[in-house]
Amino acid sequence: MERISGGSPTILPSQRRRRRFALAGLAPLVLWQLVFFVVPLLILLVISFWTMRNYRLEPGFSLENYRAVFADPALWRSLVLSLETAFFVTLACALLGYPVAYFIAKKAGRFRIVLLIAVIAPFWISIVMRISAWRILLGENGVINQALISLGLTSEPLGGLLYSPVSTAIGLVYAYLPLYVLPLYAAIDRIQDSWIDAAKDLNAGPVRAFLEVTLPLSLPGLVVGAVFCFIFGLGEFVTPALLGGGKQLLIAQIIQDEFQRRQDWPGGAAIAMVLLAIVFTLLLLSMRYLRIASGERP
Amino acid sequence: MTKRAGDIELVKVSKRYSGAAAVDDVSIAIEAGEFVTVLGPSGCGKSTLLRMVSGFVEPDEGDVRIGGASVTGLPPYRRDTAMVFQDYALFPHRTVAQNIAFGLRMRRMEKSQIARKVDAMLELLNLAGFGNRRIGEISGGQAQRVALGRALVVEPAVLLLDEPLGALDLKLRKQMQAELKGIHRKLKLTFIAVTHDQEEALNLSDRIAVMNAGRIEQFADPETIYNRPASRFVADFVGEANLFDATVIGPGMAQLVGDGSTVALSGDGLPPPGSRLTLAVRPEAIAVAATGKGVAAIIEDILFSGSVRRIVGRLANGQRVTAMQPAAAFTPALGQSAVFAWTAEAAWIIRP
Amino acid sequence: MSATALKFRQASAGSAAFIAYSALIYLFLYLPIVVIVLFAFDAKPVPGLPLAGFTTGWFAQASADPVLVGALLTSTKLAFFSAALATALAMPAAMVLAWFPTRFKSLILCLVLGPVVLPQLVLGLGFVSLLRGAPNLVGEPAIVLAHTTMTASYATMVLYSRLLGFRRSYIEAAMNLGANELTVFREVILPLTLPALIAVFLLAFTDAFGEFIVAWFVAGFTKTLPIVIWTSLRQVISPKVNAISTIIILASLALSVLAQLWVIRQARPSARVGA
Repeated sequence: MERISGGSPTILPSQRRRRRFALAGLAPLVLWQLVFFVVPLLILLVISFWTMRNYRLEPGFSLENYRAVFADPALWRSLVLSLETAFFVTLACALLGYPVAYFIAKKAGRFRIVLLIAVIAPFWISIVMRISAWRILLGENGVINQALISLGLTSEPLGGLLYSPVSTAIGLVYAYLPLYVLPLYAAIDRIQDSWIDAAKDLNAGPVRAFLEVTLPLSLPGLVVGAVFCFIFGLGEFVTPALLGGGKQLLIAQIIQDEFQRRQDWPGGAAIAMVLLAIVFTLLLLSMRYLRIASGERP
Repeated sequence: MTKRAGDIELVKVSKRYSGAAAVDDVSIAIEAGEFVTVLGPSGCGKSTLLRMVSGFVEPDEGDVRIGGASVTGLPPYRRDTAMVFQDYALFPHRTVAQNIAFGLRMRRMEKSQIARKVDAMLELLNLAGFGNRRIGEISGGQAQRVALGRALVVEPAVLLLDEPLGALDLKLRKQMQAELKGIHRKLKLTFIAVTHDQEEALNLSDRIAVMNAGRIEQFADPETIYNRPASRFVADFVGEANLFDATVIGPGMAQLVGDGSTVALSGDGLPPPGSRLTLAVRPEAIAVAATGKGVAAIIEDILFSGSVRRIVGRLANGQRVTAMQPAAAFTPALGQSAVFAWTAEAAWIIRP
Repeated sequence: MSATALKFRQASAGSAAFIAYSALIYLFLYLPIVVIVLFAFDAKPVPGLPLAGFTTGWFAQASADPVLVGALLTSTKLAFFSAALATALAMPAAMVLAWFPTRFKSLILCLVLGPVVLPQLVLGLGFVSLLRGAPNLVGEPAIVLAHTTMTASYATMVLYSRLLGFRRSYIEAAMNLGANELTVFREVILPLTLPALIAVFLLAFTDAFGEFIVAWFVAGFTKTLPIVIWTSLRQVISPKVNAISTIIILASLALSVLAQLWVIRQARPSARVGA
């Protein structure tokens, strides 16, 4: 409802008042986000072109840090491993989460709200606490091993459970499954039962009805969930640090290490910028998709 | 604001949204104490017009005057208008009495006086005893009356009603029409209502402004609107009308375009032969016969609806003609040819 | 067997499968939480099976541990400030975005949403870089600033979507009856949106309380509870930590469930008149 200018040379007092209200309401938040969100990212971007000399930051413009991201095989391996892990975690979350979201939206009846909240609630518990629990579960003398031994399924504790890429993946899936179920639920909830019934009435079997109606209509939810899951899985260092053992570092751990232990800010900033570029690309692509899916012209 | 005159004047007001005109250069003067209905299809700009008077929308151009004074640029709470909203907008966190008291509290009226006025209003609206009900606990008709009471109790110069009866079912609507009319007669305030329901407009109003595409097509009393529509749109929108394009061929005679049948015209000052005009004929003014003078048509459809029968025919030029006959009158058979006839007085002439 | 009966059987078998599968997922989601709570009450000093016996001693020890208790208080204090600031920033902005025609609306929404969709790690690094210019802020102020930025983001989004569904005619009716903007806010908007505001505050509080990644970068010598737990995880997990985690987990669950119940209840259209 944009006012088209040109036709109204005079601004009425009531309109001026409205504008002042709008400005006063928006300005604090916008300024806050500029100072504490946009400016920090810009500083980070600038620092990524600087260099370190004798443990001091030296301003300048050097692409060396970026070259290192792609030239250093260890860094490159971490980046690829991170992408693989994030991809696997996203896939696992989608497969695990879809039936649950479907169940809550379509089959849970009056328990719907309770079940939905129960899915999301763990997400609000500090990630440090949630992930630390998995150490108790997966450790060599952990709950799962002890349970397996006492059930007689294995005589020796399985050593590979904790401190492996697998345990990292389990932790990440655990951490971000709630985040995936939420948009999936929202998308499936919008699908009216009558559409599915109509498909079945037109002689589509349950599987066909799912593939022809439910799945395509819930695709936006799948995409949104996937983007969130992927981004969070990519940029997290708590889970791999607590469960991954440290043999193969993920990219987020390396960035953290560069900043906190090695004090190489430009190096870390450059890797962070590469990460950010990947995230931005994903966001842009998904927004483009969602816009097309919602019927707007791209 | 010492003189609380309720006359309203819109002077050349326009409002555009994203380039499209919602209200297009409208001027209208409403007298104090009048019940005026703005009638039009959805999207014709009638709600925008009402919101300009109440102050929720400011015109891009033009001036709004209440009681002779310009209110353009004044916020809604500085205007002597009160509105009954389409969805009633009764505050769900307040009781019926608290809703009615709201406007009085805003005017910093004394508590005892507020209580007295609210009680009187509940009485007037047959809502005595409902004051402590919550908004979720009352019926649709009651909610409608509470909304009306909340607006009336502040004694505005002008009462604005946005589709006031739109949310009610048919029977309740009829009843509320009568009540609304009664209240208007009793209080003698200026009422401006907006509706898309032509029957409601015809029943309620002293004058009707028919709106189409942002413009007022005709502003007149209900009888004039119905019997002498000023444009094709008005004729078609208010009631049902058969519209025929015709050419004047002689004194009191015209020929239907593309058909060849001649029809009689009445009235003075008819345009000279050769000029084009449009005839509006109400279906109930048309008689159908097997033969005789009139316009020949093939019977396409016959719909029986209790006391009347609706007969639809197609003229030689492809145009459809609808007649409304008493059920007992002559009924042709489908596919047959029949003659549709009307008197010269029944054909209202709309000049292009 | 008739076709209908067969169909019914298939349907109920399908439902049973759904229920069983969903139960497994819920088990997966709550197993770690149960484990923490379980070992907080177990007498064994090193968490593991089999259980050694019931005790509440770890809670007593945790409450006597000055580091843990200090961190708990610090976290509570900082989260309260962040949540209050975030809600105060979010509400007016959400009202403007939802109700006023705003230029650059999508740009502003992107700006607001940014901190939620970008990796928290990058956010943390950004703050570290920013703090280079203001080293005095490292510690508690920096944590509050960072958490406010993050929580204001989705507080605005939640309130914005809630306010989009708010009936504009309530506001117009009040104005029409003589209420100015401030009165409308006090008399109509605030009472009707209070549950949503409280819910948003609680969510922001819970999130700021448990947030670790960004806090870890800007904390300096300040110890929030997640930071203390993280540090303690370098050694063997003490049941003391499980005890305090148990309290926090139960509190977080309670707060977030409460908040979400409010948000969802608000999402339903308000009592329709004369339904």
